Amino acid sequence: MLGADTVTRFAAGDGDAVRAVYREYGRLVHAVTSRVLRDRTLAEEATQQTFVQAWRAASSFDPHRELAPWLVTIARRVAIDVHRREARRAHDSVDLVGTSDPALVSPPPSAEHIYEVWEVRQAVDALPDDEREIVRLQHLEGLTHQVIAERLGVPVGTVKSRSFRAHKRLAARLGHLRDAPPANRPATADVDGGR
Amino acid sequence: MARDDDLVAYLAGEGSSRLDPDEIGDLNELRAVLADTSTWDEAPADLEDRVVAAIAAEARQAPPVVDLKTARERRRFGMLGIGATILAAAAAVLAFAVFGPDREKPDFSMALQATERAPGVTGKAELTKTQSGWRVELDASGLSRLDNGRFYEAWLRDDAGTLIPIGTFNEGRKVTLWAGVPVTEYRTLTVTIESDDGNQASSGEKVLSGTIEP
Repeated sequence: MLGADTVTRFAAGDGDAVRAVYREYGRLVHAVTSRVLRDRTLAEEATQQTFVQAWRAASSFDPHRELAPWLVTIARRVAIDVHRREARRAHDSVDLVGTSDPALVSPPPSAEHIYEVWEVRQAVDALPDDEREIVRLQHLEGLTHQVIAERLGVPVGTVKSRSFRAHKRLAARLGHLRDAPPANRPATADVDGGR
Repeated sequence: MARDDDLVAYLAGEGSSRLDPDEIGDLNELRAVLADTSTWDEAPADLEDRVVAAIAAEARQAPPVVDLKTARERRRFGMLGIGATILAAAAAVLAFAVFGPDREKPDFSMALQATERAPGVTGKAELTKTQSGWRVELDASGLSRLDNGRFYEAWLRDDAGTLIPIGTFNEGRKVTLWAGVPVTEYRTLTVTIESDDGNQASSGEKVLSGTIEP
């Protein structure tokens, strides 16, 4: 978590502080915008805009509070705005839009789901590199332990033990998502930042 | 402990019949997020620089903060300020008489998005219908200045792709352009990098683009 001084300097537009905030939260914001928009270029645009809007509102943000919930709220709102803009364009010229265009797919995910995406991404980022890669190959690419072992050039037993350790860490870190009923999960922050 | 191992095993995709349906439902949600590409997508390496540049560009456009000492010193020259105001008012009256009421509220506004040739740059354009045609006031202060035979050119484009040039400039700070075509038909504004090579056509090197929403 960044210190209050960094947040204060971020609000002042200090370049080093802006970089520090981006490096701390950029990947998480990008995971949120990617989840909403399902389009690399749009997600990049929304990620950039999230930090710009956060900077604009930073003077009203209490620097002693945690930035993450506030940023995820802004990121989701910005991504939805981009989603709506693209949906309006699709409405104007449906014939020109591909069937996989994000503007034509399902409505944006709920705030609760976005919070889950944020938390899972944080948990994954906290894994050691070798364990994270196993999780990625298992879940994203759907590979078996045998195939993963061949791809990585390690014994199957090594893959299995890394997988077990990784998933144990994830289960521990994400336990609160399983245990908390929806009404009791930490709320995403209001964009005013608590002041 | 056995139950924790069941949870871990199920999360890892190894299945277990000893978990209750609610637990299985929650774990399936987590597995779906782990299987989603957005969980693993990485932003491009240059996005950090673009974010920093975008915020720096906005900060340059923000009104300056005046400290109290400066304000007090300015009040000492109050009489001079009043005199200057009277002169400015007289100049405004003269301008109005000569040029007419030309600063009405814009009819359209658009945000301008930068391409990879101008990372981090943001801009906006306001379009106002006047007797002389459409006045396009563009502001993209983050654009680097071009000189020595290179310059920016703005275009309006309709849905058929017809391009109409509306002016050239050297940097993006408070640029006024003019269009003799209706912006309700030529709804897309683009800015390209051009050179004085005698070729009237667009270079295609787009730096900014925006569209009037219907």
